[in-house]
Amino acid sequence: MKKGQACPTTGPVKPRCEIAIVGGGVMGLSIAYQLAKRGLTDVVVLESGYLSQGASGRNGGGVRMQWSTELNIALMQESIELCGSFAQETGVNVWFRQGGYLFLARTEVEREKMERNVALQNRHGVPTRMLDAASARDIVPELDVTGIVCACYNPKDGVLFPWPFLWGYAHQALRRGVAVHLDTAVTAIERGADGFLVHTSKGPVVAQRVIATAGAWSPAIARMVGVTLPTVPHRHEILSTEPLKPWLTPMVSVLSSGLYFSQSMRGEIVTGITVEDQHDGRVKLGSRLKFLTTLARELVALVPRLGGVKIVRQWAGPYDMSPDGRPILGEPPGVPGFHLCSGFVGHGFMMAPVIGKLYAEWLTGGSRHEVFEHCRLARFAEGRVESEEMIIG
Amino acid sequence: MTVIRFEGDELEAHPDDNVAVALYRAGVRTLSRSIKYHRPRGIFCLAGHCGACLMRIDGQPNVKACRTPCRDGLVVERQNAFPSADLDALAAADFFFPRGMDHHTLMTGNRALNVVMQKVVRQIGGLGRLPDQPVATLPAPRRRHVEVVVVGAGPAGLAAATALGRAGRQVLLVDEQDRPGGSYLADPRFGLAAADRAVQCARAAGAEILRDAAVLAWYPEDAPATGAPPGLLAVHVHGQGLLRLTAERYLYATGAYDQNALFADNDRPGVLAARAVGRLLVQHGIVAGRRPVVLGAGPYARALAEALQGAGAEVIRVDGVATRILAARGRSWVNGIEVLDPGGAKPRRISCDMVVVAALPAPASELPRQHGAGVTLRPEAGGFACIVGGTGEAARGVWACGDVTGFVGPAAAAWQGTAVGEAVARTFVDQP
Amino acid sequence: MSDKAAAMSGKTAVMSGKTIICRCEDVTLDDVHCSFELGYATVEEVKRYTGLGTGPCQGKECMVLAARLIVSVAHLGGAPATVAPFTARPPLESAPLAIFVAAAGDDEDPAR
Repeated sequence: MKKGQACPTTGPVKPRCEIAIVGGGVMGLSIAYQLAKRGLTDVVVLESGYLSQGASGRNGGGVRMQWSTELNIALMQESIELCGSFAQETGVNVWFRQGGYLFLARTEVEREKMERNVALQNRHGVPTRMLDAASARDIVPELDVTGIVCACYNPKDGVLFPWPFLWGYAHQALRRGVAVHLDTAVTAIERGADGFLVHTSKGPVVAQRVIATAGAWSPAIARMVGVTLPTVPHRHEILSTEPLKPWLTPMVSVLSSGLYFSQSMRGEIVTGITVEDQHDGRVKLGSRLKFLTTLARELVALVPRLGGVKIVRQWAGPYDMSPDGRPILGEPPGVPGFHLCSGFVGHGFMMAPVIGKLYAEWLTGGSRHEVFEHCRLARFAEGRVESEEMIIG
Repeated sequence: MTVIRFEGDELEAHPDDNVAVALYRAGVRTLSRSIKYHRPRGIFCLAGHCGACLMRIDGQPNVKACRTPCRDGLVVERQNAFPSADLDALAAADFFFPRGMDHHTLMTGNRALNVVMQKVVRQIGGLGRLPDQPVATLPAPRRRHVEVVVVGAGPAGLAAATALGRAGRQVLLVDEQDRPGGSYLADPRFGLAAADRAVQCARAAGAEILRDAAVLAWYPEDAPATGAPPGLLAVHVHGQGLLRLTAERYLYATGAYDQNALFADNDRPGVLAARAVGRLLVQHGIVAGRRPVVLGAGPYARALAEALQGAGAEVIRVDGVATRILAARGRSWVNGIEVLDPGGAKPRRISCDMVVVAALPAPASELPRQHGAGVTLRPEAGGFACIVGGTGEAARGVWACGDVTGFVGPAAAAWQGTAVGEAVARTFVDQP
Repeated sequence: MSDKAAAMSGKTAVMSGKTIICRCEDVTLDDVHCSFELGYATVEEVKRYTGLGTGPCQGKECMVLAARLIVSVAHLGGAPATVAPFTARPPLESAPLAIFVAAAGDDEDPAR
């Protein structure tokens, strides 16, 4: 990036705007960027902290097409395509590497699910293939596949480094006249004939429309306009090791434990696993020893040579859990002009490129993608259930 | 003598040497190459805090040479360089990008080129290679509960433990180095004699010292046993595995980290932290450099310069304030510096074979911060200093003393240690 | 000193004049100033934008240097009291996975 480039605003928020985006993580910035690309630049992004403070700065950077629902598969196919062109479009490297995702199954029940999902993915043109345990070792020779009954692998899945996504989207949006306010908390939202009066720590702004992209912190924002979101934050811990020379091609994941590990461009192993936790509705970001012991046991059993590799840092971020594993999008009943965009259950980052594009298309008068119908808040009252099963971490 | 293997050669080491010191004695100047520009790196802090001496040792990557004791048959190799650490072709990165390379925007214009660039970057990235072998299973973890844990067996920690022991409290002193004494061991004004004396006092007072044990964190949510209240210190006892440690009182005397100064090529091998030079002198009897520049104006800089001079080195003093250092010149070892004198128009070159940077060490406040202490940035005290009350209390059940509350040096740190140790001891008596 | 070691010492490697602020990640002083220019001028933001403090030493040698720079650059207006360090995460010394393997299964649930 060059000198003289537009920066986040440090002054007060302007008095009026067409769209206020609450939450400056990857989702909000993706939408802001896509809106600006389509000429809608009277947009204000309100981020309560610094860029990448939320889940956008804490995730493991995995992007995959291997999902168990048609919609997720289709969305991610497009999102991965957008990841591939991100550096060229925004001028910022995100180190997107398509080394694939290798899922490992430990039971026959998992095998059945895997076969079913792979067949679904294949029908949609995703080149995932089923493998036996021995073939998994062709891809990652360092694996100890004791107890692994089968695997599946899509070479087109990949990993990226999340932080620069935010610089890229933010700077491109800023260049086109979008205002990005950091360190700016939204404290209240009043509804009126004119739209919404959004109160912030840097002054009020009247917005015709509001998009709530506050991730795990969205329920508080939605409550400001009387909407109850059925999402809850689950803490997921993660760690990175010292940098190693490149040896690991894919992201590897074990469904039964939620273990995942991959190698970043700098050479670190970035890895997480599901650990029992008490969920009390708060976003918890503290680190536990229990996470290290749980993860180490699983990871070193799977890759014994990793025993001597050193952990450099552990941290945590929230998965924004929705009751059916699908995000909550579109306008809630009774609050037109207020748009929801959360509940991504730990895969919001990888969905942000495509969701941003789809939301921007809709909000600038273009077509309204079926995902906004499929993911309406009202579906919970209507009792529709179609869950996503391939959640890891 | 101990014999280690270094890249095909056998090197003799003194029994107390760590690998970095042994290599230094043998004249090995480049220990590693940096991650992005492949710049040569040598010793900087010699205390395990700076990351400059990462080597492949016994087939394990990224091991701190300064924290690895020498042992017969130890295999030591350099990493991240091709064909060798002395002549690394990839240092072309440093040469082709003299002003630095902004990896955020590198080759983003063309998608195909970008993909190729990323492939190359990944191949040359990383530091050490995956270990050759799994490691042996470690002993089962241990659990201990004591009355008082003192983290850091330097001047402050030893004095505090002594005071606590004399007051009849059970004290466990935990220190990450293989030899207790902390900054005494880097300071010619104090040296081995002061360290040993302080250690003997602490032991005589009943304090137990656990050395080679690094406290990894205060974990507020993890409990040491079922039904026990949450909160424990995770300690890596080198060679023995994990220890879960809890106490009635916690006292942090974690000291301060050596810092570098900012000038061109300040990472050149031969630019060492002053206390590293102090450690070489005091612990290993090595006079580093025949013609060292001592950069800094404080009492430690003065004392170290005198000690080096007394040991036969030709010392040049540069205060670093009125006379500013601009660059460290040389090749893979420093052979001179450039300075700008006050009112000087042009830089002046001083030839030397070592640059001894006596910058204010930065308080090592991470652990007390994890345990609830606040910090405030005090540049004159070295950095983020732990905030404590009059008796050294930093948070409920948590105390801090010595350099971690603001750099004061060994004598004042010891004085504080005694005062705070006594204060902590009194809290037992005052309880109903 | 062996002949080979003697031959190794100090002959090669031309260095390019960079001022290194984060030794572990090769972050230069220029990189940090760039970050300031873009408006990322708190310790947390400098860390994220430049990578300072994210390497093996986790900021022990560089975080305070960055903090001092923030204070010293006039237009950033940071009085020392307003500058905060980045979060101190475990482990404070890099630690091998193996020591946590042996400890697995030993964890206890905290008192309710």
